[in-house]
Amino acid sequence: MKSKVAERMLANTTEDIKIFVDKYADLIVRINEILKRKNLTQKDLADKLGKQPSEVHKWLHGEHNLTLRSIAKLEAELGETLLEVPTVHRVSDFKQTGGQVTYKVTVNRERIAYGRSPSVWTMAPKVKTLANVG
Amino acid sequence: MNSFELSIWYDEGRRCTFYTVLKENADENETDAFFTRFEEVSSPYHDDALALLQLIVAVIGDKYGALDDFFNRPEDKAQALPPKPNKFIPEVVALGIQFPLRLYCFRVSESIVVLFNGGIKSAASALDSDDLRFKFLEAQNFAQRIAQEMAEGMIQIDKVNNRLTDFKGNHEIFL
Repeated sequence: MKSKVAERMLANTTEDIKIFVDKYADLIVRINEILKRKNLTQKDLADKLGKQPSEVHKWLHGEHNLTLRSIAKLEAELGETLLEVPTVHRVSDFKQTGGQVTYKVTVNRERIAYGRSPSVWTMAPKVKTLANVG
Repeated sequence: MNSFELSIWYDEGRRCTFYTVLKENADENETDAFFTRFEEVSSPYHDDALALLQLIVAVIGDKYGALDDFFNRPEDKAQALPPKPNKFIPEVVALGIQFPLRLYCFRVSESIVVLFNGGIKSAASALDSDDLRFKFLEAQNFAQRIAQEMAEGMIQIDKVNNRLTDFKGNHEIFL
């Protein structure tokens, strides 16, 4: 059963809103889970970050925008990963001159999440050949 | 307080069923009334309403359930959505401190939430916000009534199906 109003509005929700809300929720759950597991309060975290009162005030009032550096500081203090960017790892880019063979091979890594536990990276079984020039 | 009915508003998520309140003689339930106000694209709060709806049905309803993480804004008996951000973490402020809308609700369990009405937060407190004051007080009354009926066993939780029933097991609940 679904409210007709909800149904109409969900149909009009853009992908960026969906992604933003999903990431936002993941960050809340992730940070709270880490703080709880490490028995840290939010104030402990601010102390660990060594912020000046004026700077903490800005954080408190949301005057700072998201920066990669602030996430890096948080990850460093918490000792845990908050954001993961899927990457394609090139494992071979070998070119043999002399008219024989050129291979470009990538191996995809996929993230598998188990409930609320930290995500686990695993190697995908397939190897994708990008080029094979004989 | 007038009579009202508890009816399912959204139950298509895997984690949580959402109920709403339908007042006696009303044409529209309280939660539809809230979202309808912001449904037009021309509304300045249109995107905010879509984000709040997404938080409810996709994140709470389907992904996580009604965890404490999303219900940290208790306002007397009722609660308000969205949750307060982790205030030391600027990354999650956008949908918290600066978010202009509030939707009141009553969390029965991690699997059942009753949604009420809400409005635009324009002042430091709900009671100082013209658009919220009445909805805030009304939500407290709804929540108090539901909590009381649950304490007396008149409303019961069907944990298997994530449903509320009356004391006879009926799914139509009139208060």
